[in-house]
Amino acid sequence: MNKQNRIRTSFAIISVMLASLVSTSSANAAESTLQDVLKRGYLLVGTGSGNAPWHFKDASGKLIGMDIDIAGMIAKGLFDDATKVKFIEQTPDSRIPNTLTNKVDITCQFMTVHGIRAQQVAFTKPYYREGVGLMMKKGSKYKTYADLRKAGAKVKVSILANVQATDYVHAALPNAKVLEFADPALSVAAVDAGRADAVAYDQSSIGWLISQFPGKYVDSGFGWMPQSYSCAMRPDDQVWINFVNQVLNEAMSGVEFEVYKASFKKWFGVTLPQPRIGMP
Amino acid sequence: MFKNLNYAAVWRSLDDLAYGLGLALSLAVISIILGSLIGIVVAFSLTSKKKHLRIVSNGYVTGIRNIPLMIIVLFIYFGLPDIGLLFGQMESFIFALTIYAGAYLAEVFRGGLISIPVGITEAGMASGMSNLQINMFIKLPILLRSVMPALSNNFISLFKDTSIASVIAVQELTFQIRKINLDTFRTIEAWSFGTLIYVFVCIGIASILRIFERRLAIPR
Repeated sequence: MNKQNRIRTSFAIISVMLASLVSTSSANAAESTLQDVLKRGYLLVGTGSGNAPWHFKDASGKLIGMDIDIAGMIAKGLFDDATKVKFIEQTPDSRIPNTLTNKVDITCQFMTVHGIRAQQVAFTKPYYREGVGLMMKKGSKYKTYADLRKAGAKVKVSILANVQATDYVHAALPNAKVLEFADPALSVAAVDAGRADAVAYDQSSIGWLISQFPGKYVDSGFGWMPQSYSCAMRPDDQVWINFVNQVLNEAMSGVEFEVYKASFKKWFGVTLPQPRIGMP
Repeated sequence: MFKNLNYAAVWRSLDDLAYGLGLALSLAVISIILGSLIGIVVAFSLTSKKKHLRIVSNGYVTGIRNIPLMIIVLFIYFGLPDIGLLFGQMESFIFALTIYAGAYLAEVFRGGLISIPVGITEAGMASGMSNLQINMFIKLPILLRSVMPALSNNFISLFKDTSIASVIAVQELTFQIRKINLDTFRTIEAWSFGTLIYVFVCIGIASILRIFERRLAIPR
């Protein structure tokens, strides 16, 4: 080989060695998201906006809500500081893609756990069990779910127009007349204006409205159609998944229970019972 | 986007669509008839010699024409109960569309009124007819025959405006189309077929009015 070829060849050999060194080291490190986040110093969380009481903006434009608080609890477990979170706002259909492509470390965006979604992302343990509830105006002649049920076909229930919305209502009130509105605010306005006797709405939203407008509304006390809300993560990072689940467990029944309890009260107006001491 | 079109969901819901269409037509016909009556009365007020009648009718026309129909509907359905006026669901929409139609039709009829040659009115006065008799037996017949071409535009518009009733959960045609879409996510199929229904009905309305126009035309 002449001199030029020799230089080229040795250069090539050295680059290949360096490349394999780099790839080996990254394969060896196989860093979990956990280490990445700790090194970065803040948690990147995907969430939405405009859905009280889960993720919405206060008067100063800051994101607040239950999902925001859950993210804060995870950040506390990482940095002992619930404010070390940066939120990426995403639309509902970006939740899975953003999580899988590492645009966010975790998504906390009132995500319902479905088998079909669980095939793509890993879910944490649920931090809320959502359901459909019935809300009446205070002073209505119907005070409880039993009253509504007894009134049969005389009852008018408003609901957000949705796939099988009428069936959802009939699952609880088989003979009620159903008014389907294009957005949830209108379905609540229907109860305000006496157009409907009750609105079928997310239990969390009912809790929020009752705490925001004290004395205006009444919860029928009946909830149906349970669904779990969990955070979503990449499915191949077991270290990260274990860590987040542990933090959420301690928030819901361990050292951080008071924080979780305070959020629950703030956003849903519900006081949680203390976890029973003894057997976990 | 146009691959994999499947209209089966639409065919399955033909009776719902027919119900929606029937309801839309009923709402339109009632509102158009009542709105026309209001429009004629208001048109006479707009051209009246009495100033207070002109002010009141001008206020009505200007006020209503500058508010979108959806806002009028929402106000009547959700807002009026606050002051104790609780109309039924259909009644609320008919009320809204009627006062909306009245304002627009008043302007159409007013145009017809001011185009009546003065000589005809003077002939009536010379024959000893009272103002009311002139209005009813001379001006009104001429008015109705001369505004026919302009009316078809408004009537077609008012029929399409019945789609706004879906906002207060009235299950007319647009509500039914939206329901098919929500239930099956067959967006293009549902909306394309629904659009066709609207197009054919509007063409039908225009044709019927054309026939009336030709029959009732003032001979030239």
